[in-house]
Amino acid sequence: MLTRRLIVCLDVKGGRVVKGVRFEGLRDVGDPVELAQRYEREGADEVTFLDISASAEERETLWDLVRRTAERLFIPLTVGGGVRTVEDVGRALRAGADKVSINSAAVARPELLTECAERFGAQCVVASIDARKEGERYRVYTHGGRKPTELDAVTWAQVCVARGAGEVLLTSIDQDGARSGYDLELTRRVADAVAVPVIASGGAGSAEHIRDGLTRGGADAALVAGILHDGLTTVGAIKSLLRSSGLPIRSTP
Amino acid sequence: MRVTLFDYGAGNLHSLSKALATEPGVEVHVEEDPLRAVDTDVLVLPGVGAFGLAAARLAPGRNTMRLALERGLPCLGICLGMQLLFDSSEEGAGKGLGFFAGHVQRLAARRVPHIGWNQVDEDSTLSGAKLETVYYAHSFVCRVADPSLVTAWTTHEEDRFPAAVRRGKVVGVQFHPEKSSTSGVAFARAFLREVRS
Repeated sequence: MLTRRLIVCLDVKGGRVVKGVRFEGLRDVGDPVELAQRYEREGADEVTFLDISASAEERETLWDLVRRTAERLFIPLTVGGGVRTVEDVGRALRAGADKVSINSAAVARPELLTECAERFGAQCVVASIDARKEGERYRVYTHGGRKPTELDAVTWAQVCVARGAGEVLLTSIDQDGARSGYDLELTRRVADAVAVPVIASGGAGSAEHIRDGLTRGGADAALVAGILHDGLTTVGAIKSLLRSSGLPIRSTP
Repeated sequence: MRVTLFDYGAGNLHSLSKALATEPGVEVHVEEDPLRAVDTDVLVLPGVGAFGLAAARLAPGRNTMRLALERGLPCLGICLGMQLLFDSSEEGAGKGLGFFAGHVQRLAARRVPHIGWNQVDEDSTLSGAKLETVYYAHSFVCRVADPSLVTAWTTHEEDRFPAAVRRGKVVGVQFHPEKSSTSGVAFARAFLREVRS
């Protein structure tokens, strides 16, 4: 049986892992290669680098970093943030990423998902969707949650999959950073609407929240960042709660 | 021992190269020419990309490579690399090596691609490493004409498909050992040790 995944997300800028609130007050928290390896040892199922770099120079640093990480990390690595073209995706994969997540660029030009899936395979194309609840619906936002679109999150997820995305990374903007749990309704609606794995993101404050995202939310995987980096819990503690809740979880020797 | 990765233009070879190079005495080379790729002690067919494109890159060296495998060249095919050891695929045009008789078909499941860590049953692929839970990222699987060549199985939803096949020193695996953490790397190393002896 396919196990449910725990994915650790690291914000990367200028070749370092950083932490901050809404990209402000950034503080250096360590070397991405070392942190990624540490999370692999602790039992994380995947690692995601979210690139929050602004300049082209920092971009070059990112590819070098991905290369160095891929040489030492033996679990899947996803790179997201600022990916705009098929060439960017090719570059990330050649540098050593296994998957690339695409957000604003897919909204601007949905054909990008198809072009990437045809060239590199659907299994490496992750559609990243940021959504905010408005009345009974969820509206898609781009540019790090700043720019509203006319898209409905559930419909847009279906379009992304029809276009070739092999996974959906679904972030609730309302819940992000709040540590009060994933938006279970949003997660459930999208998970029921598409036939590819859905990764719940935004809002995990405890192992119980992660369990709820996978059970009540119906997600295949959960993305976790802050609560691990701040030492509020550990990969091992989360996984043992998930396992004791009856979910299929990979155990680490 | 020289280990050569046949690079058919797909993607990430870094993790795989490093995983293989963790075995002492192993020197890893990457070769784009299928004719030159067989001039090695162990051939590795890596695992990312689409069947049609890979088969086209393989075509000029297809017969030579098939003959080398029949003559005993050890080979590890990973994911798409495993599928290239078969006759053909419904994913794309072109011929595989035909070292294993069978056809590659789309997974019969609702959730495709099959992405994530899944369990392996009845593994008898290698004597030096036992497979348990491994990482998959694929939409297609190998339907093997002779099931006795299947050395491990995995089930996704209702579809039970070969996780590994083996004939002599040629092994194909549908999962990614280089992405399956410590136990995946141990599997790749055990393969190298087993075919060396």
